[in-house]
Amino acid sequence: MSKPTVGIFGLTGCAGDQLAILNCEDQLLDLVALIDVREFLMASSENDTECSLDLALVEGAVVSERDAARLQAIRKRSKALVALGTCAVWGGVAAMDRGLDRRKLIEEVYGPTGLGYDSIPAQALHEVVKVDLKVTGCPIEKDHFLAAIANLLNGNAPIYPQYPVCTECRMLENNCMLVERGEPCCGPITAAGCQARCPGLRVACVGCRGPATDFNAPSLVAMLAAKGFDRQRIAARLRTFAPVEVA
Amino acid sequence: MSVVVIEHLARVEGHGGITVELEGDSVASVRFDVFEGARLLEPLIRGKSYDEVAPTLSRICSICSAAHTLTSLKATENAFDVHVSPQTDLLRELMFRGESIESHALHLFLLAAPDYLDYPSAIAMAADKPAAVLLGLRMKKLGNLIQETIGGRAIHPVNAVPGGFGKPPTVDQLIELRSGLTQGMADSDAAIDMMASLPAADFCHSDTVYAALRSPNLDSYYSGDEVMAVSDGNRAIVHAADYKSLTSEQSIPHSHAKHSSFRGRPFMVGSLARLTVNPRRLTGRLAVAMKRLKFQLPADNPMDNNKAQALELISDVERALEIIEQLLRAGVKDERPVPIHPRAGTGTAITEAPRGLLIHSYTYDAAGCIVSADVITPTALNAASMELHFRRAVEQCADREEAVISKRLQMIARAYDPCISCSVHLLRRA
Repeated sequence: MSKPTVGIFGLTGCAGDQLAILNCEDQLLDLVALIDVREFLMASSENDTECSLDLALVEGAVVSERDAARLQAIRKRSKALVALGTCAVWGGVAAMDRGLDRRKLIEEVYGPTGLGYDSIPAQALHEVVKVDLKVTGCPIEKDHFLAAIANLLNGNAPIYPQYPVCTECRMLENNCMLVERGEPCCGPITAAGCQARCPGLRVACVGCRGPATDFNAPSLVAMLAAKGFDRQRIAARLRTFAPVEVA
Repeated sequence: MSVVVIEHLARVEGHGGITVELEGDSVASVRFDVFEGARLLEPLIRGKSYDEVAPTLSRICSICSAAHTLTSLKATENAFDVHVSPQTDLLRELMFRGESIESHALHLFLLAAPDYLDYPSAIAMAADKPAAVLLGLRMKKLGNLIQETIGGRAIHPVNAVPGGFGKPPTVDQLIELRSGLTQGMADSDAAIDMMASLPAADFCHSDTVYAALRSPNLDSYYSGDEVMAVSDGNRAIVHAADYKSLTSEQSIPHSHAKHSSFRGRPFMVGSLARLTVNPRRLTGRLAVAMKRLKFQLPADNPMDNNKAQALELISDVERALEIIEQLLRAGVKDERPVPIHPRAGTGTAITEAPRGLLIHSYTYDAAGCIVSADVITPTALNAASMELHFRRAVEQCADREEAVISKRLQMIARAYDPCISCSVHLLRRA
């Protein structure tokens, strides 16, 4: 059987999910023996930018017309498209600008020259093209990436936790940041899969993996408001990595 | 008029290109193009509480995420006049070393070395030279192990918070790191062997101004508040509070990265600049390795930045080991972060990220929410110097074959180890 053809792409972001792939130091050489990587600009100067692909792995958000056009071209040549990381799945930190006047922000940072830049409000991949699998995380967990590849090679879809960080955190018997320490922890609404990394280190969750399925933001806001936190501050915290509406 | 265009610069972080216009034999124009989309993080974090600033601005860049996190914390703590414990200072320096080892190993073995040996990638190189690629991966993993142990995660660390660490590492964890670093000592010597075995890259010579953090003990990526610029034996110092004098006030149409100059001249930051500004670091095993690499200061060849990174692999492993010994001798305390009392004010921090000077400067209101934030990254600082060196390389290239010019330009660009997602973040206009 011929090896599946794969492309690894970055739109606008920090390249952290591509780096997470390169951080699989113990598996990297075995991995590239199982798949045929045709395009990976961050790691190779020899890229086939036209060939059809069995699998496209795409990280980053769409924040420019150029990003949108690239994503559409990738979709066209790929059988399956995987969104890698919180920016690709939710829009990520660049999507904090929803509702703000983007032109005004650009002018503030770059001056009048900035008004000529190609810039649109940040979008997740599924808002622009069909996405077949979402692997969230900022960055993605290495294990989740390897599980995705292993499953896809066998024709399966990987299964990721749908429950919130709190579930993992309780199973690990950490002290509760929210109830016991009164900190604005995003654990109750954030997708698990990180083994409650932050609360395990006595640090409140910032929500970097995006929302869990059926999350209840108003309930968390009510609880934090009862503890004396400012509603505006909570709203800003909850929407750092994903467009979570709290009203 | 003929034009040399490198549309998509490969084996670098982010999206950029190079365009050179030639008129006869002379170079009409040189551009380092940045295609990275604008994420506008500095204005978007306005109003955010001080404890959310580092985890948000860390997302500027993955490869430098530890440096962004720690520089952000240092700026916030300066604004609130917070003084962290000596243990926190040591653990932060250790995180910087871990990041530097990971970043340099990734760059030298996986991104830069394939150029010298005419491979398109480290994956292709691994078929013929598995030992070199495995060595690179092993050093990279060591750097990540340090970052995971101290920072809680290899990319976008979570354990470093305002005032200290959520949970300091245990003695057992430090002992495990120590054994990894002992192997790292031998590996960093092998890295010098690998670099010394590469063909010379001798095609660009230029007078260069170098700028780096002047650290009080001559070897810190984290402590210190002054930048020293060095050129032709002349030295000048810029204090953190005057950091804006390092940057010009010019946005340019072809790039989202603003160009910087020091007294009207472009300057270079990064490993080569660090060794030039703090040459007293070059003793012991470093001095021996310098001879093997035929590396001399002051350097006039930007490709020597690759050799300087290899030398830093040695000093990073040594310094990390020293810090761990020091922590084990003193006994690691399970201490909580120093309490923070927000107040209105401004704080600026300058550090050395793997690819050079990194500056974060914030103004806070009395409640500890961000009023304004400036972030100046090494790749933005290097942009003007890169263009100068592209120009010199084309001028000094007797061969007018486009393929020859193109390859040399790409090798120079990669020697700067650019982080293009970083470069779009720059000084806000005053």
